[in-house]
Amino acid sequence: MSEPLKISRRAVLAGVPAAAALSLTQNRAAPSAEPARRPRVAALITEFRQLSHAEVILDRFLEGFGWETRHHRPAVDLVSLYVDQFPAGDLSRERASRFNQLKIYPTIAEALRAGGDKLAVDGVLIIGEHGDYPRNEKGQTLYPRYDFFKQTVDVFRRDGRTTPVFNDKHLSWDWAKAREMVDTAASMGFPFMAGSSLPVTWRIPSVEMPAGAEIEEVVGIGPGGVDSYDFHVLEAIQCLVERRRGGERGVSRVKALRGEAVWQAMRADGWKAGGWDASLFEACLCRSHQLAPAREGFNHVYPTPDDVARMVKDPVAYRIEYVDGLRATMLLADGLVGDITVAARLAGRAEPFSTQMYLGADHAMQPHNFDPLVWHIEQFLTSGKPSQPIERTLLTTGLVAAGVDSLAQDGKLLETPHLAIRYQPNPNSTFRRT
Amino acid sequence: MAEPTKTPRKRLAIVTTIWKYLSHAQHMGDRFLVGYPWNGRWHRPAMDVVSLYVDQRPEGDQSELRAREFGFRVYPTIAEALRAGGDKLAVDGVLVIGEHGDYPLNDKGQVQYPRYEFFEQIVKVFEADGRRVPVFNDKHLSYSYEKAAKMVAASKRLGFPMLAGSSLPVSWRLPPVEVPLDAPIEEALMVGVGSSDPMDYHALEAMQCMLERRRNGETGVKAVQLIQGPAVWQAGKDGRWSRRLLEAALARSTSRSGKSLVDGRTQDLAHSGELEELVKDPAAYLIEYRDGLRATLLMINGAVQDFTFACRLRGDEILSTQFLLPVLPNVAYSTCLMNKVEEMIATGVAPYPVERTQMASSILDWCLESKKRGNIRLDTPALDIRYRAPQRSQFGGAAEMV
Repeated sequence: MSEPLKISRRAVLAGVPAAAALSLTQNRAAPSAEPARRPRVAALITEFRQLSHAEVILDRFLEGFGWETRHHRPAVDLVSLYVDQFPAGDLSRERASRFNQLKIYPTIAEALRAGGDKLAVDGVLIIGEHGDYPRNEKGQTLYPRYDFFKQTVDVFRRDGRTTPVFNDKHLSWDWAKAREMVDTAASMGFPFMAGSSLPVTWRIPSVEMPAGAEIEEVVGIGPGGVDSYDFHVLEAIQCLVERRRGGERGVSRVKALRGEAVWQAMRADGWKAGGWDASLFEACLCRSHQLAPAREGFNHVYPTPDDVARMVKDPVAYRIEYVDGLRATMLLADGLVGDITVAARLAGRAEPFSTQMYLGADHAMQPHNFDPLVWHIEQFLTSGKPSQPIERTLLTTGLVAAGVDSLAQDGKLLETPHLAIRYQPNPNSTFRRT
Repeated sequence: MAEPTKTPRKRLAIVTTIWKYLSHAQHMGDRFLVGYPWNGRWHRPAMDVVSLYVDQRPEGDQSELRAREFGFRVYPTIAEALRAGGDKLAVDGVLVIGEHGDYPLNDKGQVQYPRYEFFEQIVKVFEADGRRVPVFNDKHLSYSYEKAAKMVAASKRLGFPMLAGSSLPVSWRLPPVEVPLDAPIEEALMVGVGSSDPMDYHALEAMQCMLERRRNGETGVKAVQLIQGPAVWQAGKDGRWSRRLLEAALARSTSRSGKSLVDGRTQDLAHSGELEELVKDPAAYLIEYRDGLRATLLMINGAVQDFTFACRLRGDEILSTQFLLPVLPNVAYSTCLMNKVEEMIATGVAPYPVERTQMASSILDWCLESKKRGNIRLDTPALDIRYRAPQRSQFGGAAEMV
């Protein structure tokens, strides 16, 4: 092109995704949506600034988004908002002033009751990504998703009614909290959906893992850092591997690598030697559209292992052993790639399965990966039926927590009996392809 | 792609205006030097660049650097490059990459890249040496429809495979859709951005690769008109282009602009009224095909940053997509186009007709003529260009979709 688009990797990182997933649990108390009425929705958010997750999700409900051949306006009304923080650049008040139906309430309970004395909404969105929250000693940001969820459930209990709940990104930084959230939804019988936009965005190429595939090993690579992009790459991996023969049976062991240990793994001869299948690593880099040039003066060149080790300053890998023998490597290679790709070796197939989960690539080209996520949330809120099992996000939440724990223990191999999570995937493909 | 092991490696000559970082010659030529990602592998074409001609050597020129590293020579003339220093044609394929470099504009605002002149010299060698090989021409054949026609005629007369054009037709699409072969297309609209005449060309060829699949194939263009400014919006109100198709195209855009860049909000640009504020200098390229199809290219700088297309098939069925242009520096669309060039040189068969590029080149030339003459409608009897689309879908990932 004579007029090339500008690239900003910083923007790629800023505009990051959130997700889609849902519960197989049959809801005992049916969600209270009446078919003839547009569902009324409350959003409980940490902050509302440009490109924060709350902004990119809620603006799509308020203003619509391109879907199929139309500008689509979701058939739900966002009526109440709880905002935990109002930093400089806050947009929640501007939105509330411009959209008459939308009001900001000082507490979660009031938001859910829309100022009245009983639960007054038909769906709840918890968007706890971005904002100024402390980090724990393991480097995890303590976003208050669990607390928002707990307060929501308190209102459900007191008011004797439940609604579908969507939780953006992973459930919590803490495994026990995440488990409790899923168990609570199951025991109270309300539909619960969570996750990242990665599983539902465009793929390049536009391919789905064949149902019942015998997957031997998988590698997913992305940019970014721990407790953020690791989750996205894990969701990208998990939405593919859950379709394998027998469905998901969970993870037995996790080991994290950081720094030089990652390069030792890269140079090792395959999984058993502590590394990964080199052809899967190659396939990932070959699905990237943002492979940093290893040589000056070349715009697209395949890096040598030495190049890779030089370009990535803080490499992180999670080595994951599934109960059924599947092996996975989640690799954060910030400085090498700007996008998220996954490759899998399938039994009886010479070439790896591989694809890119497309997130857009330029500051002004973000964040349309939220279009399909919001579309799935809308379907969820109007039907009460999750399009993906919540167990996917429970598992990926647990994998992030285990990876972070292993990193905090200098890469100790951790047994993860609590992650023996079994579920079956949605037989239908849910990523954006039309 | 299987790497052939027994056949001798093909030899390539590259004839280009300039070779520096991120020029077309660099990002296309390098694919044959260092390889490119293809179907999840780093693919190294089984062919060698053996000679190079560069017309200009601006600051940042990489031609000698590349020649030294990859063992080929830079020759002072095109004939010498094609003969690799000997006295007979000594290559199996030629890439003409005449984009970038310092060349004058003509009175229609077209950059007078010397593609035709390069091509003419190549043809002379073919004729003198009694052998011809496949030729690829990057982007439009020439700024001049007459020169473009001569180029196509020469390739037919001498019978050598010729491939040309933009990467948009073969890049990835969001969504990955194709116009069904022989579909009745009633109306089409393309949205593009950038300046003339580099970027409107890309948009026109992207639209043409969709429209050529319509019922009875391509049968030529009857008239064109390029209008500008407020007349563009008025033409929409008058039904000369379709707001519904604009919505369908913009629904595929993944860029942000205006208020969306200020505070993030998403926008219904086709209907909100902001489009008319954002686009200071709109242009509409109105194209009337001989079979009655009406197509429009809207160049709307300021509103979007990507290339989208929509058409109405018979009835109310609307098909729309984005021609994805992956970002710098990889500009991964180049891999899609160079894979087609590699295919032609390896097989001796151009994977799609050069008439597509001739048509897009000629439409652009006539539209710019319309602009020069005060935006009048021009009959285009010279655009009696007829051809059939290839059956096979050839955009990025089309063969891999499951």
